[in-house]
Amino acid sequence: MKKKLISLVLIALLALGLAACGNSGSGDKEGGSSSAEPGKKILRAAASFAYPSLDVHKESYGWYTQIYGMSETLFKMNENMGIDPWLADSAEADGTVWTIKLNDKAAFSNGNPVTAEMVIRNFQRVAEVNTSYAYFADYDMKADGDKTLIIDTKDVYPTLINDLTAPATGIVDLDATTDIDNDPICSGPFVLKNFQPEGDVEVVKNENYWGGNVVLDGAIFYYMQKDDPKLLAMQGDEIDCYNSVSSAALAVYQQEPDKYKVVSIPGARLQFYILNKNHLDDAIREAINLTVDKDAIAAYLEGTVSPAVGPFNPSAAYGKVTVPAVDTAKAKELIEGDGYSMGADGFYEKNGQRLTINVAYYAARSLDTIAILIKDQFKEIGIDTTFRAEEDPDATYIADGNFDLALYCMIADKAGDPLYFIKSTLEDGAYYDVGGFDDAHVQELIAQLKQETDKAKRAELANEIIQAAIDDNAFGYVGLFNSTTVLRPGVSGFAENIPFDFYGIDASTTIG
Amino acid sequence: MIVKILKKLASLIVILLILSFLVFGLMYLAPGDPAERKLSEQGIAINKETLEAERAKMGLDRPFLVRYGEWLSGIIRGDFGASYKDDMPVGPKLAAGLKNTFILAFSSLLLALIVAFPLSVISAFRKNGVIDYIVRLLSFIGNSLPNFLISILLMYFLCIKLNLFPVIAKGNVQGLLLPVFSLSIPMSGRFIRQMRAEILDQLKEDYVTGMQGRGVKQRYIVMNVLRNSIGHIFTIIALQIGGLMGGSVVIETIFRWPGIGKLVMDSITARDYPVILGFVIVIGVIYVVINQLSDILNHILDPRTSL
Repeated sequence: MKKKLISLVLIALLALGLAACGNSGSGDKEGGSSSAEPGKKILRAAASFAYPSLDVHKESYGWYTQIYGMSETLFKMNENMGIDPWLADSAEADGTVWTIKLNDKAAFSNGNPVTAEMVIRNFQRVAEVNTSYAYFADYDMKADGDKTLIIDTKDVYPTLINDLTAPATGIVDLDATTDIDNDPICSGPFVLKNFQPEGDVEVVKNENYWGGNVVLDGAIFYYMQKDDPKLLAMQGDEIDCYNSVSSAALAVYQQEPDKYKVVSIPGARLQFYILNKNHLDDAIREAINLTVDKDAIAAYLEGTVSPAVGPFNPSAAYGKVTVPAVDTAKAKELIEGDGYSMGADGFYEKNGQRLTINVAYYAARSLDTIAILIKDQFKEIGIDTTFRAEEDPDATYIADGNFDLALYCMIADKAGDPLYFIKSTLEDGAYYDVGGFDDAHVQELIAQLKQETDKAKRAELANEIIQAAIDDNAFGYVGLFNSTTVLRPGVSGFAENIPFDFYGIDASTTIG
Repeated sequence: MIVKILKKLASLIVILLILSFLVFGLMYLAPGDPAERKLSEQGIAINKETLEAERAKMGLDRPFLVRYGEWLSGIIRGDFGASYKDDMPVGPKLAAGLKNTFILAFSSLLLALIVAFPLSVISAFRKNGVIDYIVRLLSFIGNSLPNFLISILLMYFLCIKLNLFPVIAKGNVQGLLLPVFSLSIPMSGRFIRQMRAEILDQLKEDYVTGMQGRGVKQRYIVMNVLRNSIGHIFTIIALQIGGLMGGSVVIETIFRWPGIGKLVMDSITARDYPVILGFVIVIGVIYVVINQLSDILNHILDPRTSL
């Protein structure tokens, strides 16, 4: 028995030892930004998500084919929330008819040109396989020669080119692709080398890239869900960059600016709350908005969010709105003017009822932390708080409207245009119009916004609509998540200055 | 004996049927609408019409019993249905991840036993001695630390400070070591405490006093005690296995081990019920089968125990 036991322990230890020695840690670390292949410039990045398929058109898979530098769309978002041409050269609208000219040089990685006919087939496919773009099927689309595409949207649709920046509208060579889930042939500066479904992805330079020279020889995207391993991999010199940096990791990187470059810009994901007009008087809603201190919340969240003014990035033309500064003295006046008096316990009350706000939230995107911070801020001026914590807000408090203040987080700006968010939250009957906001003038403005094609006028309309919602104290826009990227010195071009999550490497990405 | 074992196995079917009904029922009652979640994740503005259309497409508008019946008949045929999230078949998804989760779970179990078994025996036979105190202290610490914390500590010291392993492991064997350590450290702590307690109970039995009184050599006493403890030790191990399969989810995520962990976490977030149901049923089957086998084994080793 004793001998058997000792033998068993020895065999196990031997096996573990052999395994460890056979893959020595130090030997596998690739050092700096070099690669396993000496002399080659291979970027090593961490990716927080990984998907089972590379089908550009399905689900959100196109986000990642675009991040990997494989797929491209007709237009793309730029650093200033504007739209630049990509596979397309230009787009012009005449009423409901759009004429889109493709770039003459645009070609797939196999050398086949990107033609108008192929673009149409891609749009037809995305309409079939992706519910979000089913409306493409309603359009009349035809090719006018190889490089001109004519789309009749039938109704005036000013944001068509915004829609064509969506990663799901990426263009694939449908004729040459034999396995769209595992190896789509696209037009980007990188082509697939290795794909593990829901795992790591490796790409190499597209030697035939139509857009010119590609700096990197390739890139590896390691699928890493958790923040701590990403931080440790960065510290261990095993990756060169990643985005969505957590506040804890950010604090570590900021202590060593010579080793890590951190780029943080306001993104498009918004934390906001809906104030229930059916439950709260005008004065109380105004008092709430004068009390919630967004700067203090942003400071507490340690660089992961920027305080919001409106729902959109303030650098955008449609992000120009104003909100009153925090003023707790005025908030108290408003509450007292509404008939409340301060009770002995430090909370306002009226007719023996304490002023209590029911805050509904779900524990994601720091909304649970915000709920607690709001409770503290309310307590300072004499408002009591109860919580309604739900796992699924859509099926609970958004569906039943049973809240005073409902916290929510969503991407407010999907493609450089304000209409999506405005339609989702402020239009009569909208899914998130559950707080009783009702303004006939705003509905007229929304109707105009749907038809308006001039960008400057669209921005004006959007600003007026959002300002009306702010002035009505129907909502509170708390914070815009920062898009935070950490890079090693010398690494650049990892979309670190673009406030959209669906861009990554491109032809100019370098590791120094 | 064989008849008893067959009866025992037949009772498995009843248990699994009840389990499947409970799991399906709980998923049915759970808050959250998978159709809403799916549309929301796709960025589609949700309204009543789109929601109803999606619910119909996903088969969520049919009565509970109809859905349960269809799902159960599929499971019996080995068809776990299609994922709500991406319409891909659940069976191959589960199979790919489960294989790696099994490897991780059983490697961790093996290492934990290799460490815990001798230490618990020594600790019990040297009760209140220096070794016993050290083993008890270490097992207490190991048992107290959550495995995600152990993971990060191991990663920090072994990968960053000592440079023995990469954070991003390449290759299955190398990638297996740190997650195995992370799972087996707390498990060893639990095993040591439970096995030691079981052996100490045996040492209080009259037959041990008798053997000691007759001057029987210590190693024969150890052999007898172990033989009489082994049934309970099997039960302790069996009870750990189910928890181990579920408990490895977080470790897999931290160490990028391609097991079932990520799939389950993503599916829970997305309310992807077919995947969650498939996972729970598979884990449930493993748990029940192992426990039943443990009972049978226990009975074979000690026929005095009931089957």
